Parts: sequence; C-alpha cells; structure tokens
Amino acid sequence: MMSKKARCPDEEHCLELVRLMLDDEATEADSLYVTKHIDGCYRCYDNYDLENAIRKAVKEKAGDLKVSDELVSEINSKIAL
Amino acid sequence: MEQAPKGYNTLEKSDIFNNEFMVHINALYNFAYKLTLDEDEAKDLLQDTCMKAFRFINSFKKGTNAKAWLFRILKNSFINDYRKKSKNPGMVDYQEVETYYNSEDGEGQFQATPDLRSETVKGMLGDEITNALNSMDVDFRTVIILCDLEGFKYDEMSKILDIPIGTVRSRLHRARNVLKEKLATYAASMGYK
Repeated sequence: MMSKKARCPDEEHCLELVRLMLDDEATEADSLYVTKHIDGCYRCYDNYDLENAIRKAVKEKAGDLKVSDELVSEINSKIAL
Repeated sequence: MEQAPKGYNTLEKSDIFNNEFMVHINALYNFAYKLTLDEDEAKDLLQDTCMKAFRFINSFKKGTNAKAWLFRILKNSFINDYRKKSKNPGMVDYQEVETYYNSEDGEGQFQATPDLRSETVKGMLGDEITNALNSMDVDFRTVIILCDLEGFKYDEMSKILDIPIGTVRSRLHRARNVLKEKLATYAASMGYK
C-alpha cells in the first residue's frame, strides 16, 4: 500500500468513482476498479471512508421531523376526504 | 405510447391519497423544511403540495413512484415561491447560483481532501451536521437531501429537479465538496482533532 503521505495521481478520478459507487450508480467495471485501487492506496481509502461517514451522518443526524396529527387533519379537511 | 390514466372515482382517489401519498408526508415535510428553513413556511409548502397533488391526482398512475411525483410537485412549488421572493433586493437569484457554479471560475481546480477525518464526522452531533447542510446554497442542499437522506436514484432526481442526469452528477459532486469543506471548517473551529 502507498504510504500515508503519498499523493495519489488518480485521486480526483477515484473520488468521483467512489461517490458513484456509494450512490449505487457506478458500473460494475468502475466498482471493481475502486475496490482494487483503495486496497492499495491509503489516501483513496481514506477518501472512501470519509465519504461513507458523511453519508451516514447526513442520513442519521440530519433531522427527522414528524408531521403533527393536527396538520394531517388540517390537510385532510381541506381536501375533504 | 402509454395512455394517461383514466379519471379516478372518489373511492379510488381516497385510496391513492391515503395509501400512496400520505405515507410520504414526513419525508415531504422534512424536505419542505430543508428548503425553506422555516417551520411555518414548511407547513404552508407541505399543505400547498398536498392540495396540488390531490387536484392533479388523475395525472398520477396508481402504483408508480408516488414519492418522486410528490417531491417534484413540492420542488416546483418551492421554486415558484422562491422566485417570487427573489424580486426583493438582496435576495439571491436561484439561476445566479446555478450559473456561478457552472462557470469556469466556479469549477476551480481539484481541491484535495480537506483536513477532516471520518472519526470526527462520526462524532459530530445532529445539530452540527444540520447546520452545515442548512448553510449551503439551496440547490446544493437539495441534491444532498434527495440523494443521501431520501435515497432517490440519479434518474429520479433528474425528473424531480427537471435537469439532465449529467447535471445531477456534477451538482452532487460539487455539493459534496462544499459539505466536506463546511464540516472541516466547523471541526477546525471547534478544535476537533
């Protein structure tokens, strides 16, 4: 694996593919490339880990508002169902 | 060519509204709040969306992607209100933001990953994540919410936002860079190691 301090010449391209992969939008070939690349590149693995952490943080911590029963009733009454 | 669905009777409308639309009411409310950042405006936007959804229910095909259909209505309602408000001095024009980030200057060179560790993000509180999101431009905040919070696919987002899939991808890519920068800046200011 490349040293922690080494810059990866393919970092930008790999980051784009990592994001596609985490969004479940990458092709099989791109996913295979990313999986293989981050296995040997500390920097890109770090990027993958960070991207994953941010996604999870947004999903779990970005708020989970609930509509009140009162508002639901108001909506239903306006539609008169 | 697929034909538009026939008009639904009252019972069918009630069934669609209650069982296919209202199940997404919390997600719609969250989206409305993330767009408006105001509780009262979010409630108004949500009610407006529900009214429009019912009014145009005959154009919805039963059993198809109701969530995406509803989100599109809400997004369009928000855009129309936002554009009305943008006539006021000092308000940012939606198109100006989009144009800036599409410009050569807006692209800039690849920014190396800011000094932010995944452990730091995992340790952040909900408010910190929310504040970072809420401080982003609305078009960037929107794509993050739709993708990461609501789980829409790129093609669904393309239809909701009425933009090409390529634009969805590039906007998401830029939005994620912005969010990462904001989280890194916040972490640095709070002395996170």
